[in-house]
Amino acid sequence: MSGNLLEVQGLFAGYGEVPVLRDVHIAVGRGEIVALVGSNGAGKTTLLRALSRVLSGTGKLTFEGRDLSCLTPEQVFKLGIVQVPEGRQLFDQMTVLENLMMGAFARRDRKAIQETLASVYELFPKLYERRTQRAGSLSGGEQQMCAIGRALMAMPRLLMVDEMSLGLAPVIVDQLLEVLSTIRKQGVTVLLVEQDVFAALEVADRGYVMETGTVTQSGTAQALSEDPEVKRAYLGI
Amino acid sequence: MTLRTKFVLALAATLVLAALPWFAPPTLVQFGIATLLLATLAQGWNIIGGFTGYASFGNSVFFGLGSYGTAIAMVQWQLPFGVGLAFGVLLSVLFALVMGIPVLRLRGHYFAIATLALSQVMTAIVSNLEIAGRNIGLVLPLLNGDALFYELSLAVLVLATLTIFWISRSRFGFGLIAIRENEDAAASMGIDTTRYKVLAFALAGIFSALAGGIHAYWITFIDPVSAFDLSLNVKMIIMTVFGGPGSVLGPVIGAFVLSAISETLSTEVSSVASLFFGMVIVAAVIFMPRGLADLIRRFRKTGWRYFSENVRSHRL
Repeated sequence: MSGNLLEVQGLFAGYGEVPVLRDVHIAVGRGEIVALVGSNGAGKTTLLRALSRVLSGTGKLTFEGRDLSCLTPEQVFKLGIVQVPEGRQLFDQMTVLENLMMGAFARRDRKAIQETLASVYELFPKLYERRTQRAGSLSGGEQQMCAIGRALMAMPRLLMVDEMSLGLAPVIVDQLLEVLSTIRKQGVTVLLVEQDVFAALEVADRGYVMETGTVTQSGTAQALSEDPEVKRAYLGI
Repeated sequence: MTLRTKFVLALAATLVLAALPWFAPPTLVQFGIATLLLATLAQGWNIIGGFTGYASFGNSVFFGLGSYGTAIAMVQWQLPFGVGLAFGVLLSVLFALVMGIPVLRLRGHYFAIATLALSQVMTAIVSNLEIAGRNIGLVLPLLNGDALFYELSLAVLVLATLTIFWISRSRFGFGLIAIRENEDAAASMGIDTTRYKVLAFALAGIFSALAGGIHAYWITFIDPVSAFDLSLNVKMIIMTVFGGPGSVLGPVIGAFVLSAISETLSTEVSSVASLFFGMVIVAAVIFMPRGLADLIRRFRKTGWRYFSENVRSHRL
């Protein structure tokens, strides 16, 4: 086997009778940022759900050589596969600090949790300023920072970010993408799921394009963003 | 107030309450038993409704199962009261585990409706059980000892409140609050939401069943309609919400205050008591929708503005 952190081979999954994913193959190497792009309804979020075992499916899913298919969502989380869910899903009534601490819910090492908290504050100084504010009162960009910070509090090995750019100004998206590059340098692998194809490919090393439930193209980020097919499909040129 | 002074105050209040049967008239002791049991039920509802955010109408089932478990064990099997109580709790916990796993998948209104249906079904089932005396009910052995029932009720309430105090500062409690605030987010943070919810439901069941068992032995007669009375569940909700859902002492204070108001009204203006009681509830919901606990916490800072702000923020 190669040194891939995550491998998905021949994954089929769906909701009830409705099949969504058809024979999906992807691989994510250690320390990579991999973009998973595609339009609405391509099955990107479904793939994430299948990876975090909220949704069952058939096919081979391995994380560091470990088979995921027989694990519960909590066990997958403990292995270090952590999601930043679409729409941020913060605990609105709780403070920023409480939200961050919820990310460390499954951890018991108090001292190390404080260290992680310090590094999250270093990454997002805004969150430190606003630590006693209710998360629901933050701006959209700050909320997304809080959601990423919360996921980082769980010390992920693989961070899966779902639709990070949703409803955010392009300037903020660029800032957040930069943060993802920093996180990667700290040893966290990132799987970035995006509709904003070109923003995602800007920071990613490699990318997969999904259409109607299957991967139609893959390659280095640069090759994909220069690919005439991708350009035509997503930019209309 | 520091936690220490709060704890000392609560301890002093408990000791005064415990000494009550030695100097109070019998009617007050009887009122005390009923109030303490209601407070225990409110605390049970607080766990599932206040902390976890699941508006349960099934807590009267726990009360009924506690009543019937105790009654069946004592009347049909001639077992002592303690064993009966334990049997009632066992039934209640089993019910919480078996019904909780499917029903707690539902959210919001759907959960409320499903538990509502369950409590109706239980009346019908028990009415047809030979061992439960069908729809006639069961008559328990008579025990004259209001003081004993009073102290027992107080002990169970203290146990329930200490458990909630523990919940409010434990990982388990934070997990429940996370589920209340945003269940999807809680799940994506690696919390086994189903397990947490079922545990909360079972914990609520334990205390409600204890209250039911004590009530059955005290009142010495139970029948299906009164044991699974839905209005009791409504009372639990009103008292918890009045006192402050998700707080440690709120539901207890809510139960005490509302029972006192209700009792005073029914002696002063007996025929229209429930009308006035209803007005008290409506006023409470308008002026302090987050309960007494929140009022006490915030009143010092905001003063009388607290009430006008509540009215305004809820666009009433």
